[in-house]
Amino acid sequence: MADSTLPVDRPMELPGDLPGEQPGFTWLETLHTWVTTVDHKKLGLMYIGYALIFLLVAGVEALLMRVQLMVANNHFLSPEVYNRLFTMHGTTMVFLVGMPFIIGFANYLVPLMIGARDMALPRLNAFSFWMTALGGFFLYYSFLGAVGLQGAGSAPDTTWWGYAPLTERAFSRGHTMDYWALALVMSGIGTIGAAVNVIATVFCMRCKGMTLFRMPLLVWLNLTTAGLILVTISPLTAAQIMLLIDRYLGGHFFDSQAGGSPVLWFHFFWIFGHPEVYVLVLPAFAIANEVIPTFSRKAIFGYPAMVAASAGIAFISLGVWAHHMFTVGMSAPGNAFFVLSTGLVGVPTGIKIFNWIATMWGGKIRFTVSMMFAVAFVAQFLLAGLTGIMLSMAPWNWQLHDTYFVVAHFHYVLVGAIVFCIFSGLYYWFPKMTGKLLSERLGKWHFWLFVLGFHMTFDFMHIPGLLGMPRWIYTYQPGFGWEKWNILVGVGAFVQGIAILLFSFNMVRSYLKGAEAGPDPWDAWTLEWATSSPPPPYNFAIEPVVASRRPLWDQKHPEDPDWRYE
Amino acid sequence: MSSHEERPEAPDGFVALPAPTAWPLVLAFGLLLIFLGVVTSAAISLLGLVLAVSGGIGWFGEVLPQERHELISMEAHEFAPKSTYRAVSRIHIDAQHRAHLPVTTPSVTAGLKGGVAGGIAMIVPATLYGLIAFHSFWYAVNLLGGAGVADWTNPTMAQITHFRLSALVTAAVIHAALSLLVGLLYGATLPMLPRHPILLGGLFAPLLWTGVLHASLSLINPFLDQKIHWVWFVVSQIAFGMVAGWVVAKQAHIRTQQYLPFAARVGLETPGLIAERHQEGLDQRTESGEEGR
Ligand SMILES: [Cu+2]
Repeated sequence: MADSTLPVDRPMELPGDLPGEQPGFTWLETLHTWVTTVDHKKLGLMYIGYALIFLLVAGVEALLMRVQLMVANNHFLSPEVYNRLFTMHGTTMVFLVGMPFIIGFANYLVPLMIGARDMALPRLNAFSFWMTALGGFFLYYSFLGAVGLQGAGSAPDTTWWGYAPLTERAFSRGHTMDYWALALVMSGIGTIGAAVNVIATVFCMRCKGMTLFRMPLLVWLNLTTAGLILVTISPLTAAQIMLLIDRYLGGHFFDSQAGGSPVLWFHFFWIFGHPEVYVLVLPAFAIANEVIPTFSRKAIFGYPAMVAASAGIAFISLGVWAHHMFTVGMSAPGNAFFVLSTGLVGVPTGIKIFNWIATMWGGKIRFTVSMMFAVAFVAQFLLAGLTGIMLSMAPWNWQLHDTYFVVAHFHYVLVGAIVFCIFSGLYYWFPKMTGKLLSERLGKWHFWLFVLGFHMTFDFMHIPGLLGMPRWIYTYQPGFGWEKWNILVGVGAFVQGIAILLFSFNMVRSYLKGAEAGPDPWDAWTLEWATSSPPPPYNFAIEPVVASRRPLWDQKHPEDPDWRYE
Repeated sequence: MSSHEERPEAPDGFVALPAPTAWPLVLAFGLLLIFLGVVTSAAISLLGLVLAVSGGIGWFGEVLPQERHELISMEAHEFAPKSTYRAVSRIHIDAQHRAHLPVTTPSVTAGLKGGVAGGIAMIVPATLYGLIAFHSFWYAVNLLGGAGVADWTNPTMAQITHFRLSALVTAAVIHAALSLLVGLLYGATLPMLPRHPILLGGLFAPLLWTGVLHASLSLINPFLDQKIHWVWFVVSQIAFGMVAGWVVAKQAHIRTQQYLPFAARVGLETPGLIAERHQEGLDQRTESGEEGR
């Protein structure tokens, strides 16, 4: 909007230096700089910090549930509290942990990687963050503010996908569902703002020489994700507003007794819900796409195929949603269509797995903690995909729908793939974000404990599922053969909890007295490593010019630059 | 929009960045209160509306008529990235690498021909078994075709050994379809196992699928399972495999197009692409040498 041909008619503030980094600033002034910032790096860090806090909250909710399920006939939690916990755990992990993490990484890294000084729309960026953040607090306020049936504080309790018609006023009295629906509308507005911003930044802010096909794959995947967000958040928001119309204005969209249809809700929710998995997993892939080449000391294998596969995943993911609904009784052609389209997802994801392996093949691999998380991710994502193919077969799905087999499958994706990639990314970019290296020794403890805990919990969770244990039950009778598996699952959950505490300790300790990282600790090739750690507010003093996909490789190896081959 | 070209000129040593502002937060907080008012009381929504409108107005003030900037002092530091690795080594992959196999493959018609030949050859031992064991030409046909004849439950031995048109039609359809499909499969897979096509296709593969059938047929079709004589069954399968494998292997092979660039395979005339692919696809570099740290 500002036009350089017009004279600058308002005086520019001359604060001299970056506030907050000057010694002697009070904490209130520091807080002020963070609250009013429009800088993409500060906002990115705020997203990530916000996600970390809610990761701990939702983790505690999960642990409480696992304690409750460890033995049969347990009365540690009441059924009402148990319902609230699994609803809040799911809603939190998806909307307040997963989404802020991936948007935070995109915010921090996309401008740096394309050689820009900020996002295209810095004020929209701040607005998006505050919408997401306030949406989360709004949701958690329901613990205090929503008056439940008992007259005490309450919280949403109808599963993270709002099981219609249970969400209708007749069945969910009080205001818990209103808080849930409104919170998701709010954070949805924030998410859409962030997606618009990523798209505008990628198309308008690339530095000289940064053609679309020279962008790092992380940028490509976040661009794809942003497009997917625009398509999928809309039906979610529409559905929430329909639900609010039902609840406040006497509508009957999802009320079967008055001619509405709960199945309509399922369709709306899952046409958001399935692509949402890819909204979360594509940026996780994006992290692996940067980490694996750097630590294999090789360029990514099959760059164009990776871009095409990402676009393919995004496209196919829009046509598979009803595989969550095989048991509602669709027609045979409907079932067949969603079985086959779901099978198609295996093609582009297979391409990616092969390309990651081919990138590592023959490379000089360095097993840093970041790389270890990325390698574990590849193996675990493959397994998660295999149980996904099993569940995509309608007859198999009829047997195992709503059992712990399904829970184990999607946690294999969400934890085994996404959380592992997020940890990989945190170990990789923490030095860039703070200037300090995370301790590799503590990191290895974190990695191995987390791998152990993850496999104890989610490998063994498949078995009670196969034995018929339904999800969402708050307790069970002894004698079904579920007890010993639930004990193992519960112990594994605590091992994961210890690993995450260790990681939190590592972050704090390394931030306070970790080793200096320097601008380029991993000997990497993308532009974020061409500036100091942490980067100055303007990112690059001299705007970079690139000639290939690995600009820093070209600088480090002037005798053998990439642009000769691309 | 604050793309860097549009920014006002900053004095030397400074850079103009978008100024910090609280208005987006005010707008977001206003929207929060509007939503909160839906659940609690309209008064809160009203307060939210006031906040949201003032947030919006404040935000407009930030960008109109001129985007507000703040100046940040900037040090232009020289940064010369250095690799900790001493040398770049190359992974060489020659053109005969396994990634390019199979170099040749039978055509689709070769697979179909193999299927037809194998299917005919298979009839001989199957019919021979019916003639020897039951003095009936139709026994094997009725066994195979009986599976698809709806009203034929628990037939007597007399029924199985005598001609029945519907069983013949069903058997012919099943037999022809399976023979052609397996023939196609042979055409596609035999080049991947180039050493002993007759041994693998003629002996090993039929034994494999007979084993699978033997293990599962009691569940799929218990009646057929009871009536099958497994030695003769294996013999007829091997007859199929031998003949189909031999016919497929005998046919002239055509070169696969895997080594051609994509553009050439789809028939585009793009002369520049063909040389490039060999550099990009076959030549991967990796760094080696001691780490400098
Ligand atoms: Cu799905």
